Amino acid sequence: MLPPPLIIRPMAQIKLRQVDEYRWEIPREGKMRTRGLIFASKEMLPKIHEDRSLEQVANVATLPGIEGPSMAMPDIHWGYGFPIGGVAAFNLEEGVVSPGGVGYDINCGVRLLRTNLERQEIAPRVEELVNALFHNIPTGVGSRRKDLKLTVPTLKEVMRYGAAWAVKQGFGRAEDLAHIEAGGQIPGADPEVVSQFAMDRGKDQLGTLGSGNHFVEVGYVAEIYDEKLARALGLFPGQVTIIIHTGSRGLGHQVCDDFIKVMLKASAKYGIELPDRQLCSAPIRSPEGQQYLAAMAAAANFAFANRQMITHWVRESFEQVLQMGPRDLGLELIYDVAHNIAKIEKHLIDGKEKTVCVHRKGATRAFPPGHPEVPPAYRETGQPVLIPGDMGRYSFVLVGTQKALEETFGSTCHGAGRELSRAAAIKAAKGRRVVQEMAAKGIIVRGAGRDTIDEEISEAYKDVENVVNVTHGAGISKKVAKLKPLGVIKG
Amino acid sequence: MAAATPRQYRRPYRFLSHTADVGLRIRGETLEALFANAARALTATMVDRRRLRGTLTRDITVEAPDREALLVAWLNHLLYLYDVEGFLGRDFIITHLTPERLQARALGDIYDPQRHIAKTAVKAATYHHLDITRVPGGWQATVILDL
Repeated sequence: MLPPPLIIRPMAQIKLRQVDEYRWEIPREGKMRTRGLIFASKEMLPKIHEDRSLEQVANVATLPGIEGPSMAMPDIHWGYGFPIGGVAAFNLEEGVVSPGGVGYDINCGVRLLRTNLERQEIAPRVEELVNALFHNIPTGVGSRRKDLKLTVPTLKEVMRYGAAWAVKQGFGRAEDLAHIEAGGQIPGADPEVVSQFAMDRGKDQLGTLGSGNHFVEVGYVAEIYDEKLARALGLFPGQVTIIIHTGSRGLGHQVCDDFIKVMLKASAKYGIELPDRQLCSAPIRSPEGQQYLAAMAAAANFAFANRQMITHWVRESFEQVLQMGPRDLGLELIYDVAHNIAKIEKHLIDGKEKTVCVHRKGATRAFPPGHPEVPPAYRETGQPVLIPGDMGRYSFVLVGTQKALEETFGSTCHGAGRELSRAAAIKAAKGRRVVQEMAAKGIIVRGAGRDTIDEEISEAYKDVENVVNVTHGAGISKKVAKLKPLGVIKG
Repeated sequence: MAAATPRQYRRPYRFLSHTADVGLRIRGETLEALFANAARALTATMVDRRRLRGTLTRDITVEAPDREALLVAWLNHLLYLYDVEGFLGRDFIITHLTPERLQARALGDIYDPQRHIAKTAVKAATYHHLDITRVPGGWQATVILDL
């Protein structure tokens, strides 16, 4: 039997007003300081209304110092505090920063690697490749590295320097760093404000995938929507690609939990009224706010280093199995994006440049061509945006746009978004052999636990194509290519 | 779906569906039982609890500003123990409980993929819709876990 739905109190009916084909507004009401703005198609609305995510958009709109609307991307679903798919910016004068607006998995993100290989070349070797990846990258509940336990001083270096630390240790190449959001190192990270508890959790988790929806996927370019952009990103039809999706592991979870406790007190101290305790926050300028941002940056850098090290083992796995050198493989980093983060950024608001703290919780930065924070390689194309789908369907590569910069603080969606709860997914998978079903579709799956694979069946997710089509249609990102999976390792 | 039968109603904990995450509804005749059952429910989310041995003990003290926050702090401390040393509690004895402080002994096992069946990894217990209330015959709590 399925678990009963979680009913806490009657759901307030949130009114939506249609703005255009892809935009819906929650009018400002009651304690809201601004309106809500949801990016979605008409077909998505009934599902969105089923949970409490719209109420969460309205709740975020009550927080002090919010600039522009409280937004949600088309992959919106019920989170805790902020909705998943939520974007909100706060000014530095009265605005707040909220650990619940970033989430427990600080700098959970996605990176995409290209190769010189074509799909047919690796077709007979996919199973071997997946096995090598599974062997070389610890996955699953509480995965840890027995070969790599960091001392406190080293861990602090990781948190200060992020992906650059990993490259310095020989995990990857210097040119990788130019292809990571923020260069793989968020400025202002201070490991001294990260608790011993958090460091205990992180010390043997660097270079591990973890569990849940995290994965490494070998796939190929199945469709190209914009040839010029695809070429500029180094993509061609039939090309083998690799996606890595993971975050800051237990270290990030602990930083979030530690600072929620701090923020619960801070909210009372600074008189911030909270519609939900999970929204607890502190003024950005307060000591509590500054400390959280410094600790969050430290955890984010740990996550960048994590994905960098996994990249190294992906390269090694390919070299081992295919017996090819790095030059022939051409396993280069296209880009790495964070989709759970708060960033201090400059944006034009009512014609004036303002520095704001943009919270992206299950949302991806999507900066346009020519933006100073976009690396030189992508000045002409705009920043690559990587949107993973479920393990049975496809993922997308997009680029950021000027429209996104003007309307959503340069943000877009981050993934498919769940449609079934995990329990419902496991029930739907009962009596089925998901791994064999996937193999019949030509996708090799290896996972640490059966439940974690069953939870991730395609039916459990919205079709990511619908999500991406809304962001493309609304102009907040632009479709470049569709990638299909060949082999996946899951936590 | 059938309504909860009286037998189910007495279960120490139930899982509630939440799109991305999982909710726990926990019951206990006393607050001590409620906190112990919450910990059992957390373990049961991560592994098949029945396969755990209860041979190792861990003494735990957590503090928080109020009873609800204490429940979250307790569960998150158990997640910390799991991350750091793979410890999973099977049974829990609450030795001291006030709204701001909990002392407990956990009896459990170190996770071993050869012996244990992993279920879902839990990132954290959250404060979202967190609630502890008195109900006829005891206490009830609701906690949402971030998975």
